[in-house]
Amino acid sequence: MENPIVNTRTARWSTYIVAFVITALIFATALYVSSYFNDKRIADIQATQDNISIDILSLETQFDLLAEHSCGDISENSVLSNELRPLASRLSYLENQPNVNQEELVRLKRYYTLLQIKDYLLMQKVTQKCDIETVFILYFYSNEGDCEECEEQGYVLTGLGTRYRELRIYSFDYNIGLSALQTLIDIHNVRDELPALIINGRVYYGLHTIEDIEQILPELATLERATSTSSEVEN
Amino acid sequence: MFGAPIMYVLLFLSLYVEVFLLVSFLERRVVARLSPFKLLRDEDAPSVAIVVPCFNEEKTVATTIESLLALDYPVGKLEILVVDDGSSDRTSAEAERFASDARVRVFRKENGGKHTAMNLGLSQTDAQFIGCLDADSVVASDALRVVMPLFTNTAIAAVTPGIHVREPHTFLQHLQKVEYTLSIFNRFMMAALGSVFITPGPFSIFRSSVVRELDGWKYAHSTEDMEMALRIQSVGHLIANAPTAIVHTTTPSTLPHLFHQRVRWTYGWLRNAVDYRYMFGNYRFGNLGLLVLPFAIFSIFTGIYFFVRVLLFAGLTAYEKVVQFFYAGFLPPSFVFDAFYIPSSTLLILVWVSVALVFALICIGSFIGTGKRVPPLSTPLFLLFYSFLVPLWLSVAVVRAAFKTGVQWR
Repeated sequence: MENPIVNTRTARWSTYIVAFVITALIFATALYVSSYFNDKRIADIQATQDNISIDILSLETQFDLLAEHSCGDISENSVLSNELRPLASRLSYLENQPNVNQEELVRLKRYYTLLQIKDYLLMQKVTQKCDIETVFILYFYSNEGDCEECEEQGYVLTGLGTRYRELRIYSFDYNIGLSALQTLIDIHNVRDELPALIINGRVYYGLHTIEDIEQILPELATLERATSTSSEVEN
Repeated sequence: MFGAPIMYVLLFLSLYVEVFLLVSFLERRVVARLSPFKLLRDEDAPSVAIVVPCFNEEKTVATTIESLLALDYPVGKLEILVVDDGSSDRTSAEAERFASDARVRVFRKENGGKHTAMNLGLSQTDAQFIGCLDADSVVASDALRVVMPLFTNTAIAAVTPGIHVREPHTFLQHLQKVEYTLSIFNRFMMAALGSVFITPGPFSIFRSSVVRELDGWKYAHSTEDMEMALRIQSVGHLIANAPTAIVHTTTPSTLPHLFHQRVRWTYGWLRNAVDYRYMFGNYRFGNLGLLVLPFAIFSIFTGIYFFVRVLLFAGLTAYEKVVQFFYAGFLPPSFVFDAFYIPSSTLLILVWVSVALVFALICIGSFIGTGKRVPPLSTPLFLLFYSFLVPLWLSVAVVRAAFKTGVQWR
């Protein structure tokens, strides 16, 4: 056998360098691939948000036409349940990913917040005008490490949303820095003692369990209970 | 806070070594050199003594001796020295059954450890080469004919074989079969890089003059085969590998036995590393000092670190699920496929690349050891489970080595 050892004990620097270059290339490729998929996700969310924006505009237009049409023409669940809700969990997932363009992510969150507010206002109008039985909960949280119970409150609302499909829960990052949200905060006079819930126009601070909220909102009992499909509340 | 950067650094270094081995392998095109062994003519065959150190091996020693007697090697040039190291069972009686064969001699002594058995064998022979075969191993009949031509290079002081798992039955033994296949690649490449640091008990052959020059085997934290290899390397000799010299060795069948064996190996390796610390990072020892030895230590701590990270992650996830259940009740899982959630973090991609590289090395090991490019069937299970088992004994061995507790063979 040709001896595989001769002259090989001494380190060959070329091998060390080639191995280093290949390893660095593997790392660079992994970074690129990961970043590529995250960009795809952001583009995906952007497209969804644009669709929602069109849907809301469409709903607003429908609403303006209400004088001429009946309430039955308005499908009040079309926007929130089908498209807006999954966005929350997608944004939440993206927030936990490394190598995500943070500026872009914040921009998406601000857009999402705005869409939620628009949806909330529109649905309030629709509810009043069409005499629909709808319950709203506005939830304010913080991701800046100053809200110890926000995670638990998020779980509670996710559980509640799963239990009552017709319950409309809107979750807002208190520190997102959006003027429309700030106005909503000011109108309801929400202090930065998070988590905070606005239920029927009244602000509740601190962690509230499902049972607590069911006591505050006895009308929940009149809503249809869901049997499947969970939706995550962003936190 | 530093978790992710540390993970990246450790992954980079781990990947680097895997790539280095692969590049070295491709550079040397060793595959093409595997088969053309120089044939050993009977008249050129040097004398060889194989020592079989035994301690309570009554069940396996006969098979081991039978395999040695079946070796294709000139009769007058092969000695088999069975050394019963103070067994309390019928090991000697089993060995004596073969004493009628002129090649076999049986010795009994008080228990003193494997190194004393090997030294007794060394003192009882004038053979030019001395080998060791643990009494739980059997050797292929052509193994010695494959090994001996390598010694025509006078710089080579020892040759290690290709070690395979003998008759795997249990799940753990099948996992070890894959591990041994990977070791065949590693051992082969270490030899090609002049960096072998273990001369395993199953059928490593030594140049007797070198062993005598080094004053024989010595007690080395119950891992004499590591110490001897390091000592050979430290004085400038080389250790070769003959992967087609096939030895089958019995491996632990249960987790406690495997755990005990690996704690001993890792403990011995760490304590020997302390004894030979001057070789680490020392350019004088080439690849061995610069890469192989430092990485062997690094891999122990990396294995533990990754394991702790995975445990912490699993613990935190479980805790979150419990808290979620407490506050939200049971949330029915969604079975709707959404490509959005396919994990694609850099860290995960790198882990996949690393696993793919290990898979490639196992395939090469299989090719080197058996000529088959297909790895053992249990390779996916090995890749899935073994990295969770290894840190168990690594952690215990590190703690014990730090406190110099010592380890027992059994």
